[in-house]
Amino acid sequence: MHDTVVYLLSNVPGLPPIVQTFHLLGIAVIMSSVVLLDLRILGLALPSQEVQELTRRVMPWVWWTLPVMLLSGSMFVIARPQRYFTNPIFGLKFALLVPAIALAAVLHLVSVRKPDAVSTKVIAAVSLLLWVCVVLAGRWIAYVDYLFPEE
Amino acid sequence: MVLEEFWSWIEATPLAAHIGESAWFPFLESVHVLSAMFVVGTVLMADLRLLGWAGRRYPVTVITSEVVPWTWGAFVIATVTGVGLIMPRASWYVANPAFLAKVVLLVLAAVNMLVLHFFALGTERVRLQMTTGACSLIVWAGVVLAGRWIGHLS
Repeated sequence: MHDTVVYLLSNVPGLPPIVQTFHLLGIAVIMSSVVLLDLRILGLALPSQEVQELTRRVMPWVWWTLPVMLLSGSMFVIARPQRYFTNPIFGLKFALLVPAIALAAVLHLVSVRKPDAVSTKVIAAVSLLLWVCVVLAGRWIAYVDYLFPEE
Repeated sequence: MVLEEFWSWIEATPLAAHIGESAWFPFLESVHVLSAMFVVGTVLMADLRLLGWAGRRYPVTVITSEVVPWTWGAFVIATVTGVGLIMPRASWYVANPAFLAKVVLLVLAAVNMLVLHFFALGTERVRLQMTTGACSLIVWAGVVLAGRWIGHLS
C-alpha cells in the first residue's frame, strides 16, 4: 500500500497537486455548505431560504464529500506517515475535526426540528468556528516548524 | 525592463521582507486557502443553480443575490492575502507557469461572470445561464488546480 502510493505520487506527472485539488474542492463544498447554513441559522445570511429546506439541501453534500476528503487526504498520510503522525498540528486538526463532524450531525437533526431554538444557534456558532479552525490547522501542518522551531 | 524592476522593488519593500521572514507568510496562506475555498464553494452553489442541478425551488436571481455578496467578501480577503503572499517573491511568481495559468483562468472567470451578469441573469435565456454555469465550474476548478500547482514548481 505504502509503496504503491509513493510510486504513484512520485511517478504520475502532476498527481500530487491533482489529489490536493480534490481535497481543496472538498473543503470548498463543506465550508460553503456549513458556513452558509450556520450563518442562516444565526440569521445573518440567505434570508429567503428556509432553515429546514436549506439543511436538507446542503447537508447531503457535506456527508458525500467527507469520503472524498478521507481518500484524498489519506494518500499523503500513507505515503509519509512519519511526517503526519509525529506532527502535533496534524493531531490538533483531528482533535477539531471529530467534534466538527459530530456537531454537523447534531446540527443536521436539530436545525430541522428546532430551527429557531437558542440551542440550535449556539451549535451553529460553535460549528462555524470549529470548521474554520479545522481548515486553518490543516494548512498549518506544513508550517509546524514556525510554531515549534527545531533545534 | 521596467516591469522586472517593479517586481524587484516590491520584493525589497519592508512589508515584503517582513512577510517573507516571519510567521505572517503561513498565516496569510492559511487565510488565503480558507477564503478562496469559500469563494469556490459559493460560486459552485450559484453554478449548480444556473445548471438547474440544485436549489431549483428558488429563482436563479434569489440564489445569486443572497449568496454572491458573501462570495465577494471572501474574494476581497483572498485577494489581499494573495497579494501579500506574492510580495516576498514577486519575480519568482510572475515567472511561474502555474501562477500565470491561474491569472489567465481568473481573467476567464471574470469574463464568464460579466457575460452572465449582463446577458443572462434575470432573462429567459436559460441555455446561456447553463453555459456560464458550466464554464464557471470548470474554470474555478482550474483556478484551484493551478493555484495548488504553483508551490510544486521550483
